[in-house]
This record gives sequence, C-alpha cells and structure tokens, in this order.
Amino acid sequence: MITCLIIDDEPFAREALTDQLKTYPDLEVIGQCSNAIEGMQAIGKLKPQLIFVDIQMPKISGLEMVAMLDPDSMPRVVFVTAFDEYAIKAFDNHAFDYLLKPVDEARLATTITRVRRDLHQQPLDAVLPTKLEHVPCYCGNRLKVINVDEVEFAFSDLSGIHVTTAQEQVHTHLTLKVLEEKTELVRCHKQYLVSPQAISEIVILENGAEVLTHSGKTIPVSRRFLKPLKQLFGFH
Amino acid sequence: MPLILLLTQQMCLYLVIVYLLSKTPLFKLFAETATRLPHKVYIYLIFSGFCIMATYFGEQTNDAIANTRAMGAVLGGLLGGPITGFLVGLTGGLHRYSMGGFTDLACAISTTLEGLSAGIVGFYLRKQNRSEMVYAPLLVALVTFSAEMLQMALILAIAKPYGEAMDLVKQIALPMLTVNSIGAALFMSMVRDQKTMFDKLSSAFSTKALKIAERSVGILSKGFDQEGSTKVAQIILEETNVGAVAITDREKLLAFIGIGDDHHIPGTPISSKITQDAIEQNCVMFADGVETPYACSISPQCRLGSSLVIPLRCESEVIGTIKLYEPKNKLFLNINRTLGEGIARLMSNQILYGRYELQQSLLTQAELKLLQAQVNPHFLFNALNTIAAITGKDPLMARQLLQHLSQFLRINLKRTTGLVTLGDELEHIDAYLTIEKARFIDKLSVHIDIPPMLHQYRLPAFTLQPIIENAVKHGTSHLLEPGEIWVSGRAEQDLLILEVKDNAGLYRQELNTDTSGLGMSIVHKRIQSLFGPHYGVKINCEKDRFTQVIITLPLNDAAQTEPTA
Repeated sequence: MITCLIIDDEPFAREALTDQLKTYPDLEVIGQCSNAIEGMQAIGKLKPQLIFVDIQMPKISGLEMVAMLDPDSMPRVVFVTAFDEYAIKAFDNHAFDYLLKPVDEARLATTITRVRRDLHQQPLDAVLPTKLEHVPCYCGNRLKVINVDEVEFAFSDLSGIHVTTAQEQVHTHLTLKVLEEKTELVRCHKQYLVSPQAISEIVILENGAEVLTHSGKTIPVSRRFLKPLKQLFGFH
Repeated sequence: MPLILLLTQQMCLYLVIVYLLSKTPLFKLFAETATRLPHKVYIYLIFSGFCIMATYFGEQTNDAIANTRAMGAVLGGLLGGPITGFLVGLTGGLHRYSMGGFTDLACAISTTLEGLSAGIVGFYLRKQNRSEMVYAPLLVALVTFSAEMLQMALILAIAKPYGEAMDLVKQIALPMLTVNSIGAALFMSMVRDQKTMFDKLSSAFSTKALKIAERSVGILSKGFDQEGSTKVAQIILEETNVGAVAITDREKLLAFIGIGDDHHIPGTPISSKITQDAIEQNCVMFADGVETPYACSISPQCRLGSSLVIPLRCESEVIGTIKLYEPKNKLFLNINRTLGEGIARLMSNQILYGRYELQQSLLTQAELKLLQAQVNPHFLFNALNTIAAITGKDPLMARQLLQHLSQFLRINLKRTTGLVTLGDELEHIDAYLTIEKARFIDKLSVHIDIPPMLHQYRLPAFTLQPIIENAVKHGTSHLLEPGEIWVSGRAEQDLLILEVKDNAGLYRQELNTDTSGLGMSIVHKRIQSLFGPHYGVKINCEKDRFTQVIITLPLNDAAQTEPTA
C-alpha cells in the first residue's frame, strides 16, 4: 500500500482527486488538508509516502511548503495546479511530474505508474524556492504565519523549535537546519539562529559572547560561531 | 469786428487740421490719458506746433499779435499734464518772444503760465479720479477763458508803455477770449466724440464676439462634422451679418449658409483656390474683390464678391477652414476680418477640446473592455474545475453551477458601457458569488445588506462586481481562517453609498499599479469621469483586520438618465 495525503484549499477538488485515487487498489488516501500548515502538520504526524500538493494555497504556496519540509523525511511529491504558468514552465524544464486541474484520468494513471516504480523523491531543488518568505507557527492552538523578515532569532530546546519576533515567541515545526538553509538567519550557537538585521550589539564575554537584539533580548553566542558572526559585520 | 472774424477763420483752420488728424491712428492718442513718456512727447510736439502756427497766423495789431496760441497751450496742458503743459507753453512763448514787439515778454510769460495752469487743472482732475472731466468742453472753455484773462492781465502789468497796452487789450481782449475758449471747447468735443465712438465700437465688437462664443460653446466639441458646423455657421451669420458663412474640413465643404447656398452644397469637395491655399500654407487668405479679385469657383452668377478664409488649427495642424463672404455690392468690414480670426481660434479650441474628450471616453471604454476581459480566464478556469470536480458526486449542483456560470458570462458579454440598475448589478454579483462559494464552501460567507428600495437606482455597469471579485481574489482567498465579506448600501442625502468590506485586510497600495488594483482604479476613474470629482472609490485598510471599499455615487437625476455618449 502506498499512503497518500492530499493538500488543496478547494474541498471539491480534494474530493474529486480522492475519488479518482480510489480506483487504484494499491493507493490509500490517509488524509486531506486544506492549507500548507495543516499539510505540514499532517505530514509530520502521518508520514505519508506520497503527497498531492496544490500550488495555489493561502499564505503559503504548495512550493514553499515543500521547501520547508526536512529533506531527510521528504515524501514523494506530485504537484497539482490549475494555472500557475511559472511553476508549469519550471516543471517542464526539469521534467517533473505534475497534474493539471481538472485531473485527467490517463495522465493520473501515468503518474501513478511512475510512482509505483520509484517512490524515492526526485531532487526538487531546481523548482523549489531557495528562500522562504514565511514561517508557519503555532501560538497555543492558533495557526500563525510569520514573515521571515520579522523574525529576530530562532532556537531549539527540549520542547521543540521556537521563533522569536520583536513582539512574541511562537513554536514552529520547521527544523533549525531548514531555517538556516532557507532563510537569512545565521547560526550563532548550536541551538540558536539569529537574524543579522536584528542584531544591535555583540558583547564579548570571557567565554564566548552575547548578542543584544533591537528589541532588547539577549542571545548566547558560542566561541565557535563568534568569528563568522563578527566577519559578517566586517570585524576581524 | 474784423479781428474776431479773422481769429475765427484761424480757429476753423485748426479745426480742419484736427479733423484730418482724427482720421489717422494718431488721433487715438488724444483720447487716452498720457501716462507714458513717448505719448507725452507726442502731445508736446503736436501742441507746440499748434502754438507756433497760431503765432504765425496771428493778426498784427498795434505792434502786437492777436492769436489763438492759448488753445494749443491749454489743450497741451490738459491732455499732457503740468510738465508737458509747461513745456508746450514755454516753447510757444519763446517762439512768440523771438517775434519781438512790445508785448513779447508778457506774451511769452503768459503762454507758459497758461500751459502750466491747464496742466495743473488736468493733473488735479486725474488725481480726483475725474479724468473724464478733462474732455468736458465747458470746462475746457472755462480754463481757456481764465487763461486768456491771465494773459490780458499780464500784458497790462508787464508791457510798456501802459497806455498802448491798455489800448491793445481793449481791442483784442474780447475776440481772443471768445475765439480761444470756443475753439478749445470744440477741439475737445471732437476728441470726446471720437473717443465715445471708439468705445462704442469696441464694446459692440466684444459683445458680438462674446455672443458668438456663448452661443456656439460645446457644439463643435461633440465632433467636427456637418451637423455641428451648420449650427455654428448659422450663429456666425446671424451675429456678424456677413453675406455668407462656410465651414470646411480639409477636403470638403461641411456647411454653407447665406447668399449662394443654392450652388455651394455641403458635402462637395473644396473647389476654390483661395481655400486650398489657406489650408496648404496654414495662413489667413483674404480676397477683397478690389485689389485681389474674387470669383466664385462654382457659378459665374454667384453674387458673392469678397471672401476671407481662415484656417482652423488643431495642434498646429490645419483641420479645415472657416470662410466669411460678402456680396459684390457690399464692402468687407475690417471688424469682420478681426472677428473672423477670433471665431476661428474659438472653433479650433472647441474642436481640440472635443477630440480630447473623445479620447478620454475611448480610453475609459477600452479600459472597461479590459475589465470585462480581465474577469474571465482565471475565474472561468476555477469555475470549470469546481464543476468538473463535483459532476460525479452531485450532478444537480453541477448543473446549477453551470447555469450560474452561463448567466454570469451572458451578463458580462451583453453589458455595454452604460448604466445599469443596482438590482441588475446584484444579480450579476449573485451569479459570481454562487460559483465562488462553491469553490470555498466552508471558507467563504458573504452578507449582502442592500435595502430593496435602492435596487432601482442606476450605476455604471461593472461597479460593484469587480470590487467584490477583488475582495475574494486578493482578500479572503488568502486567509487560512474563513473569509467573510459584507456588502452594504445606503442612501445618504443625495448620495448612494455602497460599501464592500472583507476580513482579510490585505489591500496594499503598491498593488494598485498592477492588475490587482486595475479593476478598482478603472471603477474609480469611470465614476469620476461620468459624475465628477466628488464621487468615486475610497479604500480603508487595516492590515490583517479588514479592507473596506466605499463607493460614492450620485443618487439624483444625474445617474438616472443615460449619459449621452
């Protein structure tokens, strides 16, 4: 059985695809999500082998969502799109599989055949955005999308990954690794990333250093990351 | 009494010269208050000339000269002011002094004083803002009389021997006082008449020009065609009383009214050489029928004998001509030539304005077409996808959606650029929203609160629908949580106020330049161009909370009648 998840903001489109997939006995639709944030949550929880992702979704597009996933545990992705001509051009240029809405039976069959043959993820980097614009977060049980440039720093502790802006601190499912790779945040400590724009002072201490942010918070800087951080601002 | 007759003869000679002068443009200078130096110099020269002439023409009487010199000095002073008057008097006086005789000194001094005192009177009157008094003949007579009295007194005081002076004064006093006073008064009354006539003429001219402008305003701005041209030609003919008026474009006669309209038929090509020249050379052509012969190019029996052709210009390009004609038995008046050129300028402006207006309205129409076209592809695509997705599961709903879609498209195609009722617009919106709601069943709710009594009011087609579409496309569809849209309407005094509010708050000013804001700005521009700057679209946005679009329209007759396109 291949487990799949459908992520699309239009309910009828989700249902139609679910119905079409029912004709394949070796596929099982284990969930439906109506936006990227729910989608990431479900991927983390359900660990599907295959996901169908609509590109046009509110706040975080399908492409951005896939870029946020941890490459190590990435399911096989099939994009579904109605009319995003830029995405389609990119897919065509790199011979990626995608489905056009309304989904054509024959085209779906070809895609499923290909998936059956090889469930490994194709290298998606060519079509995914290299930089994220948003960070999906939770604040209690509320979903919140924060713009990347509002983030002052991010850190991990036992309870997970936290993102701090000038106003608030929220929880995210993104890993520090993804944040470091796909945002402007730089590593200053094993457990801390900081936005260079947010730094107002670097205080050198006996054993390492501290960063003071514009909103007055302090972040530890380990000796290992102090040098590259100083270099970033032109200190040698 | 021969002396008085001789002096009268002199005075008449003067008046003849003045009359001749009055036929030249120089005379206009008398009718204006001299304020500038060249003007004053001119007054000085003329009246000094009069003084000198008067002395020459003067009658030798007892070794003295009975004369009309006082006239020149007094008039020079009144018209030119104290300094000019003084100089005129001094010049006349010095000349008199050079002629010798026992009264030479007395006459020289008195003439100078006459000029100066008349100048002071004139200056005083102008200071009192009563400069028109300068031209009052009675006042002039009085001033001259007093001035001559002064002269007589001075002769008695200065000329020696006193006995002879007394005899002389006895002899010349009466004739000189009478003739000089009357002469100066007559002179001034001629100036005044000329001035009145000139004022009347120019006021008649301005009235005529204004009347033509007033009656023809707006006619040609609707288009430079036969209909408009005929109306304007009729107005010009009535106001100027010329023989005939014609208006042409570059190729053909658009209108002809007046003498000869039996063979000058509108719509026929231009045949006269003079008109073709005016168009080609972009200059005014005049054939007065005397020096430049004029002959009708169509019929030898034509009674028209002179013609003025003025090119009509639109941004320096000649787009036609206006022609004024007089019949052979009538002279072409100068005033009509000037008037004709003024009319041509007026018409050119109107045509230019008309073209500008037309371009504006074409632009709005083109933009509206764009707005209509802009609605279609994505929306249509989404609608078809939704319908395709539910066809298997719910064929009935699929059929209903198809009906709504076809209704929406039908309205879109059928609509013109005119006005529709708010009820119609709401129907269009309903068709649109039914489809959008099917796409986002659980995620979009729309609350429409417009009292049915407002449904009859008219507004430009595609006013409310694009705004609601924007609220979905750029607002609620970007929300993770359910989207809500409130549409409300109310009448407030003479305004119809429509409001569209969403809970997204994603409107951004910079979006206004690309396609997302295009719909909004076209709606705004179109409302303003139809109803004026007090109406239009206003946007309030509080980021991530709401976007509120307020449309203000007139609730009066302006919106209830179809604007004539």
